[in-house]
Amino acid sequence: MNHPAVLSSRVRLARNYEDLPFDAHRPGVAETCVSRTANALALSGEDRGFALLTMASLGEDRRDALVESRMISRELAASPDSAVLLQEDDRLSVMMGEEDHLRIQAITDGLSLDEAAARCFAVEDALSRHVRFAFDDQLGYLTACPTDTGTGMRASLLMHLPMLAHHKQMGSVSSIAAKVGLNARGYYGEGNEALGDIYQISNQITLGRTEAEVIATVTALGEQLSETEAELRRNALAERRTATEDKIFRAWGILMNARLLPLKEFYSLWSALRLGAVLGLVPVSPESLDSLPVEVQDAHLRAYNEKPLTGEDLDAARAARVQSVIRAAKR
Amino acid sequence: MLCEECNNREARFAVTMNVNGESVVRHLCPECMRAMNANMRGGNIAGVLSAILSAITAGEGMRRPEMREKEPAEQLPDITCQRCGTTYVQFRKSGRLGCPGCYEAFREQLRPMLQQVSGGAQHAGRRPLETLEAQRTRSRQEELTRLMQQAVALEDFETAALLRDQIHALAEEGGADA
Repeated sequence: MNHPAVLSSRVRLARNYEDLPFDAHRPGVAETCVSRTANALALSGEDRGFALLTMASLGEDRRDALVESRMISRELAASPDSAVLLQEDDRLSVMMGEEDHLRIQAITDGLSLDEAAARCFAVEDALSRHVRFAFDDQLGYLTACPTDTGTGMRASLLMHLPMLAHHKQMGSVSSIAAKVGLNARGYYGEGNEALGDIYQISNQITLGRTEAEVIATVTALGEQLSETEAELRRNALAERRTATEDKIFRAWGILMNARLLPLKEFYSLWSALRLGAVLGLVPVSPESLDSLPVEVQDAHLRAYNEKPLTGEDLDAARAARVQSVIRAAKR
Repeated sequence: MLCEECNNREARFAVTMNVNGESVVRHLCPECMRAMNANMRGGNIAGVLSAILSAITAGEGMRRPEMREKEPAEQLPDITCQRCGTTYVQFRKSGRLGCPGCYEAFREQLRPMLQQVSGGAQHAGRRPLETLEAQRTRSRQEELTRLMQQAVALEDFETAALLRDQIHALAEEGGADA
């Protein structure tokens, strides 16, 4: 079944070398992680397509753009001695010198946690032939933070849930998620904000459950939320068609005509427009809009325009980018 | 303090929840903490979620539990990991262990915390390749032992002797690897 509410799937594995201290800021730790991991991957013959990027060698804009695309964490970007092995097109990354020595991460389209996990495990298996990870029979993979031990795995879904948010049900969803050992929270914005009605669903518990069990639970919640969202969408069209259309068409009008588009305003209009796309009320597909929340962030706009844009120039570049993406997507 | 969920048992955990932007601390007993975690296995999400549809009422507000063991009033033990020099007090302050050796050094202190947060603190997932090999050897040994016992039961001592030699050979291989 198709789940248009699921934007992407992500799996991340934490692994540590058994002979090194966890803290990558200690002298030599990050460097050892980087050289050892890169060597092991090369020895395994699985290094094709990976680029080795050290944080010190990357410009600030490039690092920020990688954070915006979720290819590296903010923490990694801030550690000059750290590095990433990156297959950017396949959204596969091995962060080295993070909170844990290694964070192996794969992002895939739609509801596909199994595929994301398989990609991570393939990298882990290749490395495991040449290095030893800290492992305990009872506690599983040992991690810097004891709440990550066990599988060391976080499986998460990025979801667009405008109807549940409209009905102010995300609080209940979060409590339900917590009851089954999952976490549901707004992805963009600060504190309790959920800009663009984008939420991340992920597992909290890593010990005592197999990877397959965790993935099945996160997937089940994702499917349920997606179906609940679909039901609420149908109700909105049946019962409040004019008001629903009004909100969507206004968003379309502003997005297509604005000259300046601040990021916060963009998120709210994007959410309405994507809802319209899922409902078939606007002439673009939902998938064609899925990359926009990343494309219109500052570092991405600077890279796209090849200019050190700031302030109002960024808002102008954002409006232009949105309009060009929507025009290209128009059926 | 009594658990705020069951109002019956002594609360051992302080769970910080974010309710509409405000941090709220709820105190739970190990039982209720475990129940919260164990629900995951039951996979009873569908039933609970369908309730959302039928009861579109005011939201309860966002909750984001962060599990943390309540700081006991008594003195934290004065233990230092011999491998990296991290003390238990430092770990309790930062939430980060110093090295894989800290798990051994602080094993007794970590055990109750991990057991209560995760239900049963026994790893159930993947293992490193080396351990997978060992696992295969062990399951092969178990299979051979079972066959040997069958052979003995059938008084087929010749086969049993052959199987016994194979088991010994496997054990020696395993020993050479370790």
